[in-house]
Amino acid sequence: MKICVLYGTETGNAEMLADDIETALSDDHQVDCANLCDVDPADLGKETFHVIVCSTYGDGELPESARPFAQSLEQNRPDLSGISFAVFGLGDAEYAETFTHGSIRLADLLKACGATQIGERMTHDASGDDMPEDLALPWITEVLATFSEQSKEV
Amino acid sequence: MQAGISPQDSFTELPAAGVRLRMAETRGSIIVSGKIAIVGAGPSGCYLAQALLKSRPDLQVDLIDALPVPFGLARYGVAADHQGTKAVTRQFSRIFERQGARFFGNLRIGRDVPLEQLRAAYDATVLAAGLSADRRLNIPGEDLPGVHGSAKLTRALNEHPQAVSLPDLGSHPVILGNGNVALDLLRLMCKTPAELDGSDLGPGPTAWLAANRIERLTIVGRSPAAHAKFDPVMVRELGKLSNVSIEVEKFAPSDDPDTQKRQQALTDIDGHGEGPVRVVFRFGLQPTAIEGVDRVTGLAVEGTGGRDVIKATSIITAIGFASAGDLGREALLSGGALPDGKLDDGLYGAGWFRHGPRGTIAQSRSDAQATAAMILKELSIDPARVGNEIFAGLPELIDFAGWQRIDAAEQALAAPSRCRRKFTSTDDLLHAARQRD
Repeated sequence: MKICVLYGTETGNAEMLADDIETALSDDHQVDCANLCDVDPADLGKETFHVIVCSTYGDGELPESARPFAQSLEQNRPDLSGISFAVFGLGDAEYAETFTHGSIRLADLLKACGATQIGERMTHDASGDDMPEDLALPWITEVLATFSEQSKEV
Repeated sequence: MQAGISPQDSFTELPAAGVRLRMAETRGSIIVSGKIAIVGAGPSGCYLAQALLKSRPDLQVDLIDALPVPFGLARYGVAADHQGTKAVTRQFSRIFERQGARFFGNLRIGRDVPLEQLRAAYDATVLAAGLSADRRLNIPGEDLPGVHGSAKLTRALNEHPQAVSLPDLGSHPVILGNGNVALDLLRLMCKTPAELDGSDLGPGPTAWLAANRIERLTIVGRSPAAHAKFDPVMVRELGKLSNVSIEVEKFAPSDDPDTQKRQQALTDIDGHGEGPVRVVFRFGLQPTAIEGVDRVTGLAVEGTGGRDVIKATSIITAIGFASAGDLGREALLSGGALPDGKLDDGLYGAGWFRHGPRGTIAQSRSDAQATAAMILKELSIDPARVGNEIFAGLPELIDFAGWQRIDAAEQALAAPSRCRRKFTSTDDLLHAARQRD
């Protein structure tokens, strides 16, 4: 499968997790990894499965590197029907009201443009005891299995 | 990853001619090209190493710190109850574990090794040593007992090896400053023991907080509320405290959207809680003098409403940080650093050391990426430069494996309601680094 891991980051934690996901999937898939600030939403491909890893910054805002991407989704409304993605959100549950809002916002914008979200959004709490990769790697394996099943059914 | 690299490995002695021939140094399968020294292993130094090694895995990047432990303010500045923010150290660890950077702890440049000698040994040297002193107010009474700088207090709360003992703040402490450092101190001072669960606040500071008998805590901004530097999210965090009753002085609303957000957060916490610790926010008050004879009794201020004296049993200044005079910073910056941090040929500044005490951890990352690009553009590699060989013979240098032993021991010693128990003295840190199973 062609997979593209896209990250939105402010302190680099989301980038680190994106790197881990890329490494873990590389044995079985053709995987790329890119910063959202270097990606135009209109260029997302239907033949690629997109894994979005996004943190939250400040008062529930998108991290710096995801902002141009989100802005383009909002203003240009590209037609993303046929585009599949999954979302992993990073946050700090000490700030409960805005926990992982960045990833929620990005998923909502992608869906509003017609993209299809596969699987449940998964989150990691920086104040908790889990390592993000310990949650993300089993999650993405399951998401990809779901996606393969759904693709067969179509 | 550091295995196999030692001063001996990089030399072959040719006794006949007495000439030392340098062999190519390697790290794993990588032939090391240039050597870069970064003085200060805090967030700025770590992000810089990360950016350099991401572009050029063939570089040898050595992070040097005066303390036996890495991560600077991520360990000793970020508040003990903000473990989510401290999680950035996992990223920094990888720079050593996977990207091949090396750590040289317990090595103070300027004392153990002169800066000039370091510069001669490396192809590029970066000063990222931060700012450790408290900025002064320059008003009468500033040196009275009972006046404490936020840098000193923060180090004491975080159990920095060179920390002073925690002072008695009395019933009416005043915090002067409207930045996040001021909010960190305020929040910690108001937390109940249960609200500190999961933090790494040590037993000493925990007992100190529990023994505080604060009745009224006033936080004073010199600027109007519109110019306060608080992050809105940190203001809102105060709205979760159970032990306080918060009062925010009325202020003029702003037209600017970012300012409105901050003001909204302040408005939202106004009136929060019915706890015994009264927290009062005041703005637009210029301090003119600290009053008191043997110790502080009040803060004299001047505002639009005229002169006032705020009763104070102690005053904490949180108005920024300054150089403690290390590494000749003032002379180096006297010509003004270039935008991306160049100070001289082969010498760069990064983080607060370069641009002053402003900016978050996230901002230090983008700064570091710009500085790394500048260094790589200018890097002129001379294989004759000896790198870390100049540290040979220095006692008790701590490498990353030594830090990992400290880290493991600290986590193992943590009380049930804590995630870590720091060793509080340099001796204890060095001792833990020496322990092998």
